[in-house]
Amino acid sequence: MQRQGFNRAVVVLHWLLAVSIFFLFISSWWMMGLPLPSEELQFRAFPFQLHKNIGLTLVVLLIVMLYMRFKYPPAPPSAQDMTPWMHKSAILAHIAIYGLIFFVCISGYLSSAHTKWDTVVWWSFTLPRIAEANEDMNEFWGELHTYSAWILLALVAVHVSGAIYHSYRNDGIIRRMMRW
Amino acid sequence: MVSNDLNNSSTPNWASILGVVAIMLGVFLTAMHGTELMKQSVLTSNMPASGEMPAADCPLGELDEEGITLEQCEFLVDYVQGVAQATPEGFPGTMMTLALIGTLLAFASVIIGGALVNYTSWSSMAAVVVFAGLAIVDLLQFATVVNAGPILRGMYLWSILLWFILHLMLLVGALAGRHTEAARIA
Repeated sequence: MQRQGFNRAVVVLHWLLAVSIFFLFISSWWMMGLPLPSEELQFRAFPFQLHKNIGLTLVVLLIVMLYMRFKYPPAPPSAQDMTPWMHKSAILAHIAIYGLIFFVCISGYLSSAHTKWDTVVWWSFTLPRIAEANEDMNEFWGELHTYSAWILLALVAVHVSGAIYHSYRNDGIIRRMMRW
Repeated sequence: MVSNDLNNSSTPNWASILGVVAIMLGVFLTAMHGTELMKQSVLTSNMPASGEMPAADCPLGELDEEGITLEQCEFLVDYVQGVAQATPEGFPGTMMTLALIGTLLAFASVIIGGALVNYTSWSSMAAVVVFAGLAIVDLLQFATVVNAGPILRGMYLWSILLWFILHLMLLVGALAGRHTEAARIA
């Protein structure tokens, strides 16, 4: 028997990812306005470590979510809730969002890996260095990180608009991701 | 075969719309309150005990990387010092407490929003409680900021007022929905 809605683990992970992604956006705009680091000025140390840790954890959570998503797939939405073109667009948008989350996280890590600052995983152990500090590479990956994050934000806005559209219609789509 | 018909005609339209709006705003507000919590904690714990900030360290390579000028780099230090000097005693502690309560209530509003969409028996009452709690947090933040001097007022007040109005709208929506349902059943 197939469920119409998503698996409960997928639902919980979806909302955790949503809150984390918004936290990363909002907190990063603030932390980039902190003084540049020096021996005496350490304002950026905690926010940057937290930003990197949440980003790396997001990759793991997304992999788990996708695994559960494909292991326990929901039934396709009914034709009255979603026309075929809408369904195809929704699938494409989801693939783009998943791909961009991966890319934003990985490019952020690669940018950070080319600085002199280590990544300490949840303040417990230091990730082995994969590269020497290199300003050009740091800037290259940093710019990709920034621009892909803006594209992700735009797609999230489309995703949210879709959710609101279905809530106004009060159809079954919105309840697929809200199984409490 | 498909289980659980999700085309739940028993969910009123107002609950479906209010639920989704509560979830969207709840996700955003959890992130905002979480950031405020971190902001106060970072600023408080990294300020030198003397209150005097050391000179800005602005190597050319870092300026290029950040896309800022030397003056902007120096201003980042002056700005943090200015905010610290404009912050009354007790302000960071109060804001951190309110931000912590706000984070928890905002996350609760995500859960309550889902319950509204599914229109569970407890959802509308819980929505009234959580939205009222969030509006009270906004009011307490307003009272804290309004007495904190012009610099902090300029930084915080507009966003607190905006959130207060949004929470008031959600609260009134939940109350109106409850009254509509009560009238329909009667």
